[in-house]
Amino acid sequence: MPRSAYSPGSKLNPADDYSKMRRIIAEDPNWSLAIVASLSNLCLQSIVKNFEKKPTFEDLTAIQKDFVQERLSTSLPLRVTANLISDGVYWKRCCEQRWDLCDVSHYGHSWKRQFFERHLENIIELFIPDVTETKTVLAMVPLCRNYVKRLDISQLLPPVKEPQEEEVEYGSELTIDNEYDGPSMDHFDFNILLNKLTNLEELHLVYRVKQCGMNFEWKMFEMTNRDCESLARALKSCKTLKLLRLHQSHIEDQQCRVLVKHLLDHPSLRELNFSHNLIGDKGARAIGKLLNRSKLEILNISDNNITGLGAKAIANALSKNSTLLSLNLRLNRLRDEGGEAIGKALLSNNVLRHLHLGANDVTTPTAIALSKVLFQNITLRSINLSCNNLGADGGKALEEAMSHNSSITECDIHLTEVDEKHVAFINQVVWNNQKAKEQKRPAQESKTKTCSTLQ
Amino acid sequence: MEEVEKDPEEASEPSVFSENQESKSGVSTQEAEEDPTVEVKEESQENWPEEEEVEGSEKLITSQRIIGLQRDLSALVTNIQTAADAKESMRRTELEEARRLRLERLENDAKSSQERFEEITRGWSVAKQKLIPQELQEALSNQQQLWAVLLEDKKKLINDLQQELKAGDDRYVKDLRKQAEELDLMMERMEEQIKTLTKAYREELAQMERVYQQETDVLLTKYKSEWEQYMKELLDKEGERLMQRKEKVEEYETIIHHLMLEISDKDSIISIEQNEKFQVQERELQQIKGNSMVAKLKEIKHEDDLSRNKFNLAHMKSRIISLRTDMKNLVEKCKSQEQQFTKRNQYLSDDYKRNIQQYECIQKKIKHFAAADVKKFEEMWLMIEAEVKQLVERVLVIESLIYKQHLGLAWERPPLPFMERSGPIQPQKHSRRPDRQAESQSFETGSQRMMDASVGPQLEADTESMDMETYREGREALSESGTEVDEGKLTTEMVKKVMELLCDEAGFLVEDKLLSLLAPLEKEEQTVVKLASLLTSFGIEEEDLPKLAHFLIKSKHQQRQPTEDVFVEFGEEAETNLTSELTDPKHVVPALKHFLEQLTRSRRSSAHQKSFQHVEARDASADEAYWESMGNVISEDELKLWDAAESTLTQYHAVLTEISELVPETEDLEQQNKELRLMLQQLLTSDL
Repeated sequence: MPRSAYSPGSKLNPADDYSKMRRIIAEDPNWSLAIVASLSNLCLQSIVKNFEKKPTFEDLTAIQKDFVQERLSTSLPLRVTANLISDGVYWKRCCEQRWDLCDVSHYGHSWKRQFFERHLENIIELFIPDVTETKTVLAMVPLCRNYVKRLDISQLLPPVKEPQEEEVEYGSELTIDNEYDGPSMDHFDFNILLNKLTNLEELHLVYRVKQCGMNFEWKMFEMTNRDCESLARALKSCKTLKLLRLHQSHIEDQQCRVLVKHLLDHPSLRELNFSHNLIGDKGARAIGKLLNRSKLEILNISDNNITGLGAKAIANALSKNSTLLSLNLRLNRLRDEGGEAIGKALLSNNVLRHLHLGANDVTTPTAIALSKVLFQNITLRSINLSCNNLGADGGKALEEAMSHNSSITECDIHLTEVDEKHVAFINQVVWNNQKAKEQKRPAQESKTKTCSTLQ
Repeated sequence: MEEVEKDPEEASEPSVFSENQESKSGVSTQEAEEDPTVEVKEESQENWPEEEEVEGSEKLITSQRIIGLQRDLSALVTNIQTAADAKESMRRTELEEARRLRLERLENDAKSSQERFEEITRGWSVAKQKLIPQELQEALSNQQQLWAVLLEDKKKLINDLQQELKAGDDRYVKDLRKQAEELDLMMERMEEQIKTLTKAYREELAQMERVYQQETDVLLTKYKSEWEQYMKELLDKEGERLMQRKEKVEEYETIIHHLMLEISDKDSIISIEQNEKFQVQERELQQIKGNSMVAKLKEIKHEDDLSRNKFNLAHMKSRIISLRTDMKNLVEKCKSQEQQFTKRNQYLSDDYKRNIQQYECIQKKIKHFAAADVKKFEEMWLMIEAEVKQLVERVLVIESLIYKQHLGLAWERPPLPFMERSGPIQPQKHSRRPDRQAESQSFETGSQRMMDASVGPQLEADTESMDMETYREGREALSESGTEVDEGKLTTEMVKKVMELLCDEAGFLVEDKLLSLLAPLEKEEQTVVKLASLLTSFGIEEEDLPKLAHFLIKSKHQQRQPTEDVFVEFGEEAETNLTSELTDPKHVVPALKHFLEQLTRSRRSSAHQKSFQHVEARDASADEAYWESMGNVISEDELKLWDAAESTLTQYHAVLTEISELVPETEDLEQQNKELRLMLQQLLTSDL
């Protein structure tokens, strides 16, 4: 560290002084004659040294700020640095010191944002209910409030519960009584946090425990009703949220309905992702209701247990919707009942651009219904029907429809039992559409390019 | 995204309990079938664009190829996902099927067990009806058998289900492994995709570079060849032009050379002519110049003379005028001076008369005062002498006292001649007394003479007789000269001549500077000035001049004739001779010397005589001796004696005073003695 060379201790050291007195130091290959730093440098160094007691940063010029940022200790308390030091080298150094991988492009090219988001995530992920004090989280709020835009929480620890287990062994009645006396919360309660983070836009949540090892329990991978209630209230209070991703958290119909109920009429929510859960038809119905009472643009409920009834509810909402751009129903059990309903709904929708119905056990009738959509719809860009037994007739209908369509640029019909020639034709049409679109956009550029190359 | 989506599938897997081995194998085969086809397709597609490339069609195809590559390679990856999706959906259908089967089986089982149960219950009722123990035994065993069958069925079912569970577990594990494999495969493919894509991009880039390089090369060569061609043309043209130029230059050079030669010839001829003309003209010009110069000089001279003359004339005129005015002034001044002098003369003569009267008066006064002074003097003398005599007497008395009383010696009166004398001392009484009158007179004449010197020689005649008397007393030699002065007066001309002679002879004494200054003057003036300087140098005064002249003449006469007196008588007669004789300059210098010696001597003597006259007025030397002798009545030895006597007397006096002081003391003591004696007597008496 270069700072150690300028620390006051070394100045008092006579040996050091002696070496400073010397004009030539032959044994040191890095030595140069510029012994005495300029006064401004010395001042800046003293600022760096005493930064904790007397932080001065705003009054400095840009170059001096860089100098200070390069040299400040990364172990300074955040309450000093958080709101004083602007985004820059200092935060980069902090990040690189704490984490090996630091992809700043993922954080809007802001090192400070990266640092605070990851810091807060760390705190929350290591939060153990009733053991960790909520103060530790709340203390961070005023420091990171202005910088945190996204929270990607990859685990939420359950409360510690040794005595309960014993009681379970000895008597079941006691456990029932003790359930309410147990931990005040099952996981971290977002109520205390979300309404204070005024810049939060994205929230990624997984109720799970990483690296549980042999202590595996199903409970660790579930969101309880209490969690759901508190989270729902927290989400309602967070008015800036744009993206909510709650996946792999064992959400059932009941919980889904609670969440949706609180998300209704949310002012800013644009994207909802409930993938990899256990949402059934009732939950789907709730989501259908949400579709028309919010500004959702992207909805992802892949890998759930939605069947024809739920799909009908969603289709009904879709037919009246004017905001949704992308709908993902992958890996559900829509069957032809739901597929046909969605096909019908799309006839009256001209907003949706992406539709994913992969692995939904739909067959020829759905294909025929969708081919009708493809005939007339010009907004739909991509459609995915893979892993459905569409059959040859379905393929034929699609081929026919695609021959009249010019807007589809992606059409996935892998593993759908469609004839090769139909697939090839459809692919050809899709490529042509792609090409046409590409040429439409950079037409002039490519033309000039070709002209120049020809010359 | 794909990875992220893969993970949840794994996670969601454990929720599955049942499985179907066959379907899984079916999927795997399907996948296995699919993979090679895809690869084949890929290969064919990779080959296809390359072939096209080889055919030589350009960019468009490569870009298509890139797009195709992107599409196919991503399809390769996504295929896995779709396959997994398909598998998952298949699994779900299987699960549903299995669940359905299980449910059916369970239902069947439930039905059959229900039937059996009813049978058993019926059996129970039958058994109740049975009263015979064997029958009852039979019925019971029958019932037992039925139960056993039921139990067996149930057990079998349980067993089956447990087996299914186990199989499900196994399958789950296998699924996990397979998914892992698939993930690996996917990653591999993604990497491959990346590799191939980068390769393709690189190739494309290389190709593009190559194409651009070729194009640029082609263009470069084309441009180069064009450039070279143009350069060649340009060079040829330039060469031709150069040749033409050179030829022309040579031609022009020859022409110019010829022209130059001709012109230089012509030029030289012309220049020579011109030179000649020029020289001629120059010569003429110089002649003209010389003439004009001479004329000019003449003119200048003329003018100069004229101007100078004019100036001189004007100057002279102005000077004449000024001189005239000066003269007038001077005449006026002279007149005024004359008038002044006449006035002054009158005034002075009046003054003189008055002074003479005053003088006479003063003489009378002096006579009177002198007589009074003498009388007074004598009286004073007598008085003081008497006084002194008294003092002497007293001293003598004291001395006699000392001698007689103090020393006890016999005292003799010292001889005192002056005691008999009285009156002032007149040691030359007999010789001087009658002259006293004359002496005072001479004194008067001395002073008078002093006055006369300032008045002038004219007045000398009045005091002549007086002079004669006084001089005759002190100096015999000069008395003669004094008489001769009178004679010399008459012969001023002679004096003049003598002076001239003196000047000529003693000219060597005059300073050279003066001579050079005097050179332009006339002879008379010269002599005057020279004479003045000579006289000042000799220290001779003006009044001595006639004396000098006379002396000189006399010395000559002496040299001629030793007897002087003879010629003195014939002074007038010898006058004429003198002039001729004076011409002999040889004797002038020694004569002059002689005169000067005489003069200095006479002066010294005259000074001496004057001082003597003053001493003579009253001879004080005898007086002093006289008074001294009076003072010295007591000699030095006696004085010493006196001093010693005084000291002894003072001592004696001191003793006496002491004695006088001690007398009262002794008297007191005597008194005391007396008293004490009295007291003693009294005491003695009292004691008694």
